[in-house]
Amino acid sequence: MRNLGANRLRPLVLVFVLALVFAACGDGRNDDEESSGDDDDTEQTTDDTVDDGEEPAEGSDLIDATDCPGDPTTGVADGTIKLGTSLPQSGLYASFAEILRGSQAYFSYVNEELGGVTVNGEQYQIELVAEDDAYDAEQTVGNVTGLVNDDQVFGLFNVVGTKNNLAVREFVNENCAPSLFAATGAPAWGNHEYPWVLGTFLVPYPLEMQALVDYLNETTPDASIAILAANDDFGAAYVETLESLVEGTGLTIAATETYDTATGEVASQITTLAATDADVFLLGATLTACPTVLNELAGSGWDPIVYMSGTCTSKTLMGLAGQNGDGVISVAPLLDPADPANASNEAMTLYNEKVAQYQPEAAADNGIVAYGWSAAAMLVYTLENSPELTRESVMETARSLTDVSDVGLMLPGATWSVGADDWFLGEQFNLVQYSAADGFFSAVGDLKVYDDQTEEVTPESLVNG
Amino acid sequence: MTQVKRVAGWILGFVGFAAALLLAWRVFTQSLDLFDGLFNDPSKASTIDLFTEALYIGIAAMGLNILTGYNGQVSIGHGAFFGVGAYASAILMFDHGWAYLPTLPIAGLICLVVGILVGIPALRVKGLYLALVTLGLAVVFPDLTKRFVDGTGGTNLISLKTEQISPPYWYDWFPDFIADPLTDYVGSRDQWAFWLAVAVAVATIVTVWFISRSRFGRALIAVRDHESAAVTVGVNNARVKVSAFAISAFFAGLAGSLSVLVSRLANAGKVETFQLSILLLVAVVVGGTATVWGPMLGAFVVVFAQDYIDEQDTLTDLLDPPRAKLMSPALFGIALIILMYVLPDGIVGGARRGLRSLSRRRAAPIDA
Repeated sequence: MRNLGANRLRPLVLVFVLALVFAACGDGRNDDEESSGDDDDTEQTTDDTVDDGEEPAEGSDLIDATDCPGDPTTGVADGTIKLGTSLPQSGLYASFAEILRGSQAYFSYVNEELGGVTVNGEQYQIELVAEDDAYDAEQTVGNVTGLVNDDQVFGLFNVVGTKNNLAVREFVNENCAPSLFAATGAPAWGNHEYPWVLGTFLVPYPLEMQALVDYLNETTPDASIAILAANDDFGAAYVETLESLVEGTGLTIAATETYDTATGEVASQITTLAATDADVFLLGATLTACPTVLNELAGSGWDPIVYMSGTCTSKTLMGLAGQNGDGVISVAPLLDPADPANASNEAMTLYNEKVAQYQPEAAADNGIVAYGWSAAAMLVYTLENSPELTRESVMETARSLTDVSDVGLMLPGATWSVGADDWFLGEQFNLVQYSAADGFFSAVGDLKVYDDQTEEVTPESLVNG
Repeated sequence: MTQVKRVAGWILGFVGFAAALLLAWRVFTQSLDLFDGLFNDPSKASTIDLFTEALYIGIAAMGLNILTGYNGQVSIGHGAFFGVGAYASAILMFDHGWAYLPTLPIAGLICLVVGILVGIPALRVKGLYLALVTLGLAVVFPDLTKRFVDGTGGTNLISLKTEQISPPYWYDWFPDFIADPLTDYVGSRDQWAFWLAVAVAVATIVTVWFISRSRFGRALIAVRDHESAAVTVGVNNARVKVSAFAISAFFAGLAGSLSVLVSRLANAGKVETFQLSILLLVAVVVGGTATVWGPMLGAFVVVFAQDYIDEQDTLTDLLDPPRAKLMSPALFGIALIILMYVLPDGIVGGARRGLRSLSRRRAAPIDA
């Protein structure tokens, strides 16, 4: 009956505990830059003038708040509006914490230099409570429940991750807490059963495919396409959309392969795809799989036009691919802070100055920081255009954003709107091409405009599944 | 006579357990000043979820203890059984419209069957090799869910609606132990999850207590300590080992099923499943292997220590804020190492040692 077993287990457990510790610490390496996330988010490029604007908001009946529990002005007190966020600050995806630096820099700038955000003639300081979920949806639920029930936040801002947002959208909906600019390009945010969640301005993944198909129809209308995609919903968004979009065009799909996101093994898939000698290679991958694939591709003797998910366009990831990333095509909804041509831009100047001032540790030339900055600017823009500071009013304003321009690091000339039926923001963006010699992406052709088309091009199951 | 004493003993045991929980809750809620700063604000709704979480982690750990502590078979794949239980309940409720309660035993039984299926091949390997085989289980499980679960938004996540995890209508018939002092914070959903977890925990403790004192329990230990000797005295080695797997999987399944009441979802990722498996093992060892109460105590220590460390802004503020959270898992790991150094045989083992040395010291002068 004594613990004979314990003696035997002790060394084993020590090993596990050490393994846990290492696992926990092991990812500090890449948190400086980098971007991208599994199915979500990521940086992109950008620019422009300073924020703010005109439009939106009237009290239409976009949101039904009759059954809402709680006070509609929860989180607003003493001249402060309290918001919450949950994003990875530890674990494998800790690099997303850089988004927070960009957002905090913008909020500090607004709070300290502009006196706060002005809603209906009154000024409010913005307080952001940031929780860590290590990219684990279960922890996101715990965090968001705590933020809404305990911290009594007004709403959520920039919750990162597709699964993480899916896991809380029911709760957010029931509690009528606006969840603004959910940081993921997944098509699920178009689901009309969940009006309290608004996706961000990242290019919706299916729209990336529309842009690619249009580009190919123009340049190589009879191209064959080989696809390598992640074996999850993120990869499926690319594959299923592209399959439906090539119908009726001269384009053909030569082969489709998937890879396991957990292992990132891609060598044999590349060999198989290279054997098709297709004209175009679509890479529906994210994170380190992107440079890995590009490096494998270089050694395969196959030289297709390469299109890569917008989630891969980070400086760090492209740096890993080095010369092999040259000529890769992707999309970008914001100005690229790494592009010296943007340095003289007014919005970029402000961004560089304030990030250096308030978040000196952040790498301002990293697109993911620029993303956080721009998301914060969008939030402030939305609040300032709300007729009053209630949950319903702010959500209605967000739902009716129209022709937003020059907010954060938006592309010059681009405007974003949330359509009545098409709930996606990032429908104007650039098609961009990477230059390995320069180390940044530059626009290919003019601004791409796909207003109100995301819902249309996306297979219905991806939106309402 | 001894029977009566025993029965009285365990009744006292679990009444004491429930009372201790209730007392702990009262203390937390009513002496806010005392505990402020030591724990997360106790008046918060999420604190009760933390209790529930500690309970279901404890249930799974007690089950794992039967396999690992009593029977000596190391499993680092119990996160998978836990996940099967969570998915079983979530799928039955979400896709088939079941109420929650009937899914609880079904989730356990499904895991029992899976446990038998895994236990049979596991007969052929021992020690580290078995650990690797079970690790494989934890690694394969998330992939299987990705392939076969058609969940929310095309992912392998199943997110439940509030009405699906709400208490049944008869729950209102019971007096409100927790909500009374906390009406503004705690909803009936949180309490329902908590009390249900308490009920299952009590049933688990009673079951494990009986197993540990039964013929089967002695067989488990005999097989652990000396397999061939056990066989020579008539123990059916294979049946004992497979049963241990099945029972431990059953409890992991119950725990997984309970977890959906708190987390509102069933989900599986490679990192999360592996971490959970290790967490369960840590709870067993921290509490005390092959003891009835150890794993439950270990679960409380592990869950609350983790929460406590996560909330230590003073520590983490010293570091650069966006990266500060990177440190909390490491701090947790360091705390565990220190704990294992101080109490190598776990909390219960250490307490027993302490009591023994106390009584020896007291006895000494009399002998002299």
